[in-house]
Amino acid sequence: MKSRLIGAVIAGTLALAAPAKAEITVCAWGTITGPDALVNGMTYGTRDYLEYLNQSKGGVAGNKIRVLMLDGRYKLDEELKIYRRCADQEQAVVINGWSTGASKALRDQIQEDGIPFISESFASEVLDPQKYPYTFIAGPTYEQQMIIALRDLVAKGGKKVVLMYSDNEYGRGPVNVVRHSGIIEKLGLEVADLVEYRYDAQDVTAQMLRIKSKNPDLVYVQGSTPQLLVLLRDAAKAGLPARLFVSNLYNISPAIPEQLGAAAEGFRAIQTYSFYGSDIPAMKEIAAYGAKNEIEKKDIYFIKGWLKGKVIAAAIEKVINDNKGQVPTDIKAFRKSVREAMEGLKDFDNGGITPPFTYADHQGSVQARVAEIKNGQYVPVGSWINAR
Amino acid sequence: MTKRSILIAAALAAAFALLGYESSRFWAYLIYAVAISAIGAMSLNLLIGFCGQITFAQGALIGVGAYAAGNLGNAGWGGFSLIGAGVCGALCSALIGLPALRLRGLYFAISTLAAQFILSYLFKILQPLTNGVSGLVVKPLVLFGRSVASDQEYAVIAITILFLTWLFLARLAQTDVGRAFLVVRESELVARGMGIDVSRTKMKAFLLSGFFAGLCGGLLAFTSRLANPEAFEIGLSVDQTAMIIVGGLGSLSGSIVGAIFVTLLPEAIQRIGELMPSADLVSAFREMAFGGLIILFLLLEPRGLVSLARRLRSRWGGSRSSAEPQVARPGGALANDVEPVLKGRKA
Amino acid sequence: MFALQLAIAGVATGSVYALIALGIVLIYKCSGVVNFAQGAYAMLGAYLTYALIRIGLPGFAAVLLGMVLMAGVGVLTERVVLRSMLKAPIVSIMMVTLGLLIFLKAFCLAIWGPDQIAFPQIFPAGAVDFVGIHITYNYIAAFALATSLSIAFLCFYRFTSVGLMQRCAADNSRAALAIGIHVSNQVSIAWAASAALAGLGGALLATLGGLSLGISDIGLIAFPVIVVGGLDSLVGALIAGFLLGVLEAFTEGMLTPGLEELLRRFTSIQSVGALQQVIPYALLVLMLLVRPQGIFGQRGTERV
Repeated sequence: MKSRLIGAVIAGTLALAAPAKAEITVCAWGTITGPDALVNGMTYGTRDYLEYLNQSKGGVAGNKIRVLMLDGRYKLDEELKIYRRCADQEQAVVINGWSTGASKALRDQIQEDGIPFISESFASEVLDPQKYPYTFIAGPTYEQQMIIALRDLVAKGGKKVVLMYSDNEYGRGPVNVVRHSGIIEKLGLEVADLVEYRYDAQDVTAQMLRIKSKNPDLVYVQGSTPQLLVLLRDAAKAGLPARLFVSNLYNISPAIPEQLGAAAEGFRAIQTYSFYGSDIPAMKEIAAYGAKNEIEKKDIYFIKGWLKGKVIAAAIEKVINDNKGQVPTDIKAFRKSVREAMEGLKDFDNGGITPPFTYADHQGSVQARVAEIKNGQYVPVGSWINAR
Repeated sequence: MTKRSILIAAALAAAFALLGYESSRFWAYLIYAVAISAIGAMSLNLLIGFCGQITFAQGALIGVGAYAAGNLGNAGWGGFSLIGAGVCGALCSALIGLPALRLRGLYFAISTLAAQFILSYLFKILQPLTNGVSGLVVKPLVLFGRSVASDQEYAVIAITILFLTWLFLARLAQTDVGRAFLVVRESELVARGMGIDVSRTKMKAFLLSGFFAGLCGGLLAFTSRLANPEAFEIGLSVDQTAMIIVGGLGSLSGSIVGAIFVTLLPEAIQRIGELMPSADLVSAFREMAFGGLIILFLLLEPRGLVSLARRLRSRWGGSRSSAEPQVARPGGALANDVEPVLKGRKA
Repeated sequence: MFALQLAIAGVATGSVYALIALGIVLIYKCSGVVNFAQGAYAMLGAYLTYALIRIGLPGFAAVLLGMVLMAGVGVLTERVVLRSMLKAPIVSIMMVTLGLLIFLKAFCLAIWGPDQIAFPQIFPAGAVDFVGIHITYNYIAAFALATSLSIAFLCFYRFTSVGLMQRCAADNSRAALAIGIHVSNQVSIAWAASAALAGLGGALLATLGGLSLGISDIGLIAFPVIVVGGLDSLVGALIAGFLLGVLEAFTEGMLTPGLEELLRRFTSIQSVGALQQVIPYALLVLMLLVRPQGIFGQRGTERV
């Protein structure tokens, strides 16, 4: 009895001492609960794609990926805490972060830690491949999107623009960048007014009346979907038609036509990914995944998440293949190689979500077009434009 | 506060400082997060627990300290930026406390609520000072010529400052000033009768409390490298108040215990909750637990964890007297039998 | 005309503020406690009404039943939570109500999720347009309901025998006990009524602005209302509610753009942000300095 016990202890100690099989961990955090939870399909999408790989192909190059999805709650201190946990304890090889504020606050730390970081933010301050080689985003910046809308207005002969934005970094930052760049004047447009609103405003009737009195040709909204729901509803109250309003890609949300009905007709948003449910290979994968698992958010944000998942998986796969099929054991080297692999993606085929892109600019696909709500559905109008 | 308790505290501080220095970034982060919150909680306890002035403006005061330290630090003041943060906090606190000299408890409390909202608003508007909603980017703290960059070093600094704060405040409770606070809390009439200048005493409480709140904010600014207005709203005031209530009003060590509890409990629940299938349920569960625990604590043990510990100890201590001491023990110990502090209530 | 439009919008939201403030004052008079969870009651009332409509009840019935359920919640909180805390320090009681606010918010989050939900149409869609002013039926209905219920409650309080008992219990509970009034029942009634009114307020807010966890923020707007109106005056709460609603609308519609134009011309400050949120608080501070008992409150309860 005693010898069996000793034997078990020795065996156990040996087992602990044996080198652990290198694990691949990917961390993704988003606002699962919080002000912009409506668009958290982006986080679910990343997790779900990697889970899909785990289920259907046994992971990446035969190695399962451990995906940790966490709730940043759109609070900076929460996000910073999650970053530290992911970087240190969880030893994540890639981190997918959320807010503009956190991406900015963590800028330097990310480079010091050397962890490839994909941010959901599209603020140009977050993107700088030279200074911040570890930070990536997934699409054209907010500023680029705004300029597309403005160019569209110029083409239609409009003149007066009102810029509406939420009173947080997400709203003010890009608007300030565009204003200071002078491009509005260069395009021959006039800013009739700048209207800021509270990011959690429940009522903006007064602001809408104010805008109405300025009689603009276009109102560009740098805001998020929960806000647009309030804005468009109150615009209808004030007698402002939805077709005056254009917003960024975060506002292609089924919630807008669903909840607003007729008041949403004519509203336009910038589209950079294919719609959920369009006839593309990626949708077939999603359908296969959805047959066995619950998909929380069936919208264009989920599609974006799916895309990010593909990028992450492709980069990790390349690193493993280059390493003779072994997962690197040194996490620092692993992260460095993944970053290089991500940057090296050329003509990356992502199952039709966007045209094949090259990730050297850390943005990926910068094609965009305008989509308008017609009869309760988002319908593309016009063709794909290069956002630059 | 006996020599023995100082030694114990010093030993604990040294132990945690060492732990913070040697551990991974995440644990160092947790250690300094708790330490910084504890500094704030102690400052709040000074005001609410010791002096009986209810305030909701703690979040904003911490914010004042954060922005002050950020600006001073970026301007090259080094370690003095923390002192500067404390001074700014003190001045702001005194300003907010002025109405206390004229208004009764509940009305004063509401005026501090207004102060919290007004200051939150100012943080977002005063672009030149605070960089508005984009947040003020804060360069790392420069101490004795060295730039403090790692989480582990901040843990050591935070624990050191926490220990010094505790030492100062515990000593304060033994002085005339500290005792004056307690008398003012119990009854301003009696205080006046004893010859205590009530207005001056209250002002001293505000100044001191504000200083340490500012210090807390300064440390927050340097550790998060960003001071942004959303971090200093009413939610922070609620968190800090929860800490002193859970720990025990009027008990300095209780504030530290409360800080540990309020900071680590959500994290613990988060980890347990990660075993749950649905992610948004985890956060909801976390919040429910937080709110529920506040309520439960206040229902069952309104005098906080420290008092609970005392009760348990006396019950199991056996030979020691099980009756609770009836007077405020010197040394920042629990000043119990806290009666309704305000006269706004009907009998 | 713009001004009139603003005034109308302000009066409509103000009527809802009044409902919430009324509840807080009622509880304060009876229990001496400021209920920070009033906003949470409003939010819960809105969600319950939504749930009732979802299971098939017609609009008005759902609102009514929602109010009844909220009354139950009010009594429950009073019995379970407040009874046990009769001897506790005021700061602890206020903290309990804060804890309740946090708990209820998380509860609604757990059941209904974090996203905005479209509140079903209770009132007919469409609007009235006259003299260039656009008022939706929703606004009119919200105003009408809120105001009539507030006034009805005030009448109940002033003219009925139960109302008389409420007033006695609130004024001097010992004396009330002495003449045979069941004070603890009266306190429960007060809490029930407050919660019911708050629930209605929440449902109305949801018809105006959609259903979300943010409805609970209205509890904070109530503070300037009750200080301006008078912490122990029900009529004050009603009138101050309207006043502050209109003030908010005018700030948003006129003061903010005006100030911004000035600031943009002379300084680098681009925007005044949520001025309409902070002006009521500035007014609160002013009121406390100048006339702390509020417009309608009783002198002598507030100064040292």
